[in-house]
Amino acid sequence: MINFEEELKKFHPSLEVEDVEEAIYNQDLTDMADLLIKMVKESEPEEE
Amino acid sequence: MNCYYCGCRLSEHDFCTGCGADVSVYKKIMYLSNYHYNDGLEKASVRDLTGAVRSLRQSLKFNKNNIEARNLLGLVYFEMGEVAPALSEWVISKNLRPNKNIADDYINMIQANASRLETINQTNKKFNQALSYCQQDSLDLAIIQLKKVLSLNPRFVKAHQLLALLYINDEEWEKARKELRKCYQIDRSNTITLRYLKEVDSVFEAEETQKSGGKKRNISEESVKYQSGNETIIQPVGGKEKGGFAALLQIGLGIIIGIAAVWFLILPSRVQAERTKVNEELKKVSEQSDAKSATIDDLNQQVSTLTTQVETMQTQMDSYEGVDGTLSIMDKMIQAIQAYMTAPDDAVAIEEYLDAIEQEVQIEETSESFQAMYEQLRNEIGPKLATQYYDIGYEDYMAQRFAEAIPSLEKVVQYNSENGYALYYLGNCYKEVGEIEKAKEIYRRVIAEIPNSERQRKSQQFLDELESME
Repeated sequence: MINFEEELKKFHPSLEVEDVEEAIYNQDLTDMADLLIKMVKESEPEEE
Repeated sequence: MNCYYCGCRLSEHDFCTGCGADVSVYKKIMYLSNYHYNDGLEKASVRDLTGAVRSLRQSLKFNKNNIEARNLLGLVYFEMGEVAPALSEWVISKNLRPNKNIADDYINMIQANASRLETINQTNKKFNQALSYCQQDSLDLAIIQLKKVLSLNPRFVKAHQLLALLYINDEEWEKARKELRKCYQIDRSNTITLRYLKEVDSVFEAEETQKSGGKKRNISEESVKYQSGNETIIQPVGGKEKGGFAALLQIGLGIIIGIAAVWFLILPSRVQAERTKVNEELKKVSEQSDAKSATIDDLNQQVSTLTTQVETMQTQMDSYEGVDGTLSIMDKMIQAIQAYMTAPDDAVAIEEYLDAIEQEVQIEETSESFQAMYEQLRNEIGPKLATQYYDIGYEDYMAQRFAEAIPSLEKVVQYNSENGYALYYLGNCYKEVGEIEKAKEIYRRVIAEIPNSERQRKSQQFLDELESME
């Protein structure tokens, strides 16, 4: 049986056009490749 | 694929041929990104949009520079009616690869039409407003707002889902199912859609089971089912028990239905047929009556015509008849003949009888023998009358009784037209009594009929005088 109140909590406000710019700036674009490069770069001084 | 360290193009080896760096893990990350992109593309092609979003986001987590995956993610968002996240992805894509990027076309498509962009913005605002209404427990307002949202953007999956949830809450299952079907047509694997749909379907199934269960129970109560060899026989229960009172009741009902059928189906047609027959008879009698009436009218007309003729003839007969029943003109003719036989010189008396005859009847209409007798008498008394009237008229003329002389002289002229003196005196009499036109007419006759005489000369003189007077 569906609980209306609980289901309602799953709906979030939609992103408005004015807020797109802010959303883009705030988006975390870090990917696995970035993490790998960071890890490689961090490990290099230790090796040296 | 380039080396993350030196930027050299990588080969099939697990190390960079340029700098010797180990790129095996990096290569695996790139492969995984591409794998998820392919997965996302497949899902998007079968309208598994939620699955496609999940795979494409996964792909971008491995490699944020996977432009195709990002552009496709934007398209999938756009298809789900979420334009702002789509724009967001395309803008990032454009920043990562400014040239030869299809995201540029997508962005231009949206930004080129200002009113469309405004509509999209309004749609998102109204959806947020509807959500706010839901949280404030103003569910009716939320439904109205969501209907507006869907009229502006019919592909907005989240709006369909929220509207369906509100309908489910109101237990309007059919409407909810309609909204969820629309969601399903856009996105086939959205978990929320499928869960709500399952809930709604379960309600419908329960209702159908309840209905069909009732029917089955009725069937099972009314029948006995048993196996005979390979055949299943269903036999109605209580079929044989019907008898006695029930049979009588059924017969009675049958009779009533039969009477009703006769009353309502057969009788009206029979009545109608009888009415038609009577109407035809009436029509025939009416036609005969009309014909007889016409004959009577003709006969009446003939009677009236004949009556008129009889009356006319009676009137004519009356005019012919005298006091004692004999024809009066014949009587007068006999009297005239008698007077002529007894006193042939008394022309005036004979003339009176003849004049009386002339007054009563047109001489031309009498018989030939009557006309011959009449003419003979007139001719016999004519000269005598002329002489007698001339004497009377001349005496009056000489005594200057001109008015009295005129009738006598007229008679003389009538019976003896050769008497020039009588004509001349008549003209003078007319002149004296003032009948100028008559006088002139007589004088002209004298001038014409009595040439080379004193009367002619005088008549000419009087005529000139009379004409000069005018």
